[in-house]
Amino acid sequence: MTNKLITLEAAVQRHTRDGMQYASGAALPVGSDAVVFGRELLRQQRRQLHAIFHCNTQQLNMLAAAGAVDVAECGFTGLEGFGFANGLRRAVESGAMRLEDYSNLSLPLRLLGGAFNWPFVPTTTNIGSDLQHLSALTGENYPAQRKIPEVVDPFTGRIVGALSPLRPELAAIHVTMADIEGNAIMLGTEWSRFELSRAAQKVVLLADHIVDGACIRQYPNLVRIPGLMVEAVVYWPFTSWPQASCGVHDSDDAHMKAMNQALATTEGTARYLDDFVFAWRSRDDYLDLIGRELIAQLRAGPTAFLLDPYRQWILPDAQIDALTVAGASV
Amino acid sequence: MNYTQQEMMAIATGREIRDGELAIFGVGLSMLAGYFAQACHAPGVRAMTEGGIYGSTPIGGLPWGIECNRISANATSFTSGLDALGFMVASGRCDVGIIGAAQVDKFGNVNTTGIWSDPDRKYLEPPKTRLTGSGGANDIACGAKRVVIMARHEKKRFAERVDYISSPGYLEGGTARERYGFVGGGPCAIVTTLGILRPDPQSKEFLLDGWFACSSPEQIRAHTGWDLHVAAHACVVPEPSVIELAALRQVDETGMLQRG
Repeated sequence: MTNKLITLEAAVQRHTRDGMQYASGAALPVGSDAVVFGRELLRQQRRQLHAIFHCNTQQLNMLAAAGAVDVAECGFTGLEGFGFANGLRRAVESGAMRLEDYSNLSLPLRLLGGAFNWPFVPTTTNIGSDLQHLSALTGENYPAQRKIPEVVDPFTGRIVGALSPLRPELAAIHVTMADIEGNAIMLGTEWSRFELSRAAQKVVLLADHIVDGACIRQYPNLVRIPGLMVEAVVYWPFTSWPQASCGVHDSDDAHMKAMNQALATTEGTARYLDDFVFAWRSRDDYLDLIGRELIAQLRAGPTAFLLDPYRQWILPDAQIDALTVAGASV
Repeated sequence: MNYTQQEMMAIATGREIRDGELAIFGVGLSMLAGYFAQACHAPGVRAMTEGGIYGSTPIGGLPWGIECNRISANATSFTSGLDALGFMVASGRCDVGIIGAAQVDKFGNVNTTGIWSDPDRKYLEPPKTRLTGSGGANDIACGAKRVVIMARHEKKRFAERVDYISSPGYLEGGTARERYGFVGGGPCAIVTTLGILRPDPQSKEFLLDGWFACSSPEQIRAHTGWDLHVAAHACVVPEPSVIELAALRQVDETGMLQRG
């Protein structure tokens, strides 16, 4: 079995660069996302990112607020029940970030197109609306013709739209659990992580838990991201904090609100980055920052039972750390 | 009987859902309206969210999102966005969807994307106010057999033309929508805090179909940004029954709608 465990710092150092097309998953506003990967991108001063996020998350909200994103492509850009995404909003309204709008179906369809290496994906939605007619990226006047061009169905003569495929340079994907080879199981909706893992040129997993390979062999049907398409695995509990990780922990509602409020201004953003991006030096520090009491509370959420069948295979931190050192040297 | 305008809006929206239908709900009010229908007159409704979470009911308060733990704790299936919005909605399977609107126009086109100082220059300038974007609403508006739009009834929201069409209603009206061959039939109602609007069968312009007891056609016309016509058959919408209100409050367990 190939050991792909590396540190968060090494993952960002080796697999990201300024100006890259960067995708994250699950990219859900309240549920799962590889939020801590975004924090590390900022710690390593990555800039001018072209972000592909199925939905905005606190990660994109923060990256946009910090001025690290030049272009974003999204299906949804709010924070659902937590309201507008203030950091993203500020970046769009000021013109600092160009935002190309799609919908929650067309964005994963574009990933599917990239995954299949199709030239385009026919779509029966998005056409006829301003999702088709307004483009931030093609530089066209209204109505845009090149964002979702109309094509004729050769069988019926009907007009449909053509979606361009996406093949992001890197996808950082949050998963509930993975073994050291990168075979991953996700609890909760997988959203678009299946398509994203196939579309991306390179996949780094961020796992709440590292499990023994025996767990994977017990539930191979549930392994929707097999290790053979994974470049590296990072062990990071509470990767998606303050968002939720189904089966592992609830959303930290107070931090969701405080974070979004901070990202509404440049001063607030600077303070937020000082406190929650640059302040920690290790995984333990990071968990201390969240607060051990709160962590226990969030772990006791209503979906905790979903993790029960897998608990017997969860590896202890010390073993994972020993393996990570070994993995990092490969 | 005491109830708020928001409660009336949720109940009127829920009445649009029939028992046994495959129904897709969004976050917040739309979810409350849908689960109210399930708790009241449509126990067999097959409810789903675009998050790919099926068979569940919310626990511990109104879910923060279509994917959050409050809607994931008693699900019968976790799938994906492609499954929910593609296989279930774009396919034409979904009977009814409920979407929200920051702005809606007389042909039922919905804007949830942005407000511009000059909408004609939106390809040149960033929006004055960036909203949330489409999410799955565009796909629901194109694919669901019927769509119910929910919006707070304010003049600035009920515009002659929306700044940006995030989710298509009847576009320019008449047969304009047919050009795109959408599998979904378009919006069947706009349910507001004051009443219910429905499209004219030919022109597809929305007409006042009914007003809530708290309101009147005059008040609604005054709060509408286009010259809203009143349908010949328009009348007052029945107030919530005791059973309906009890069912809604059971679903709205944190009392979000009761605060108005």
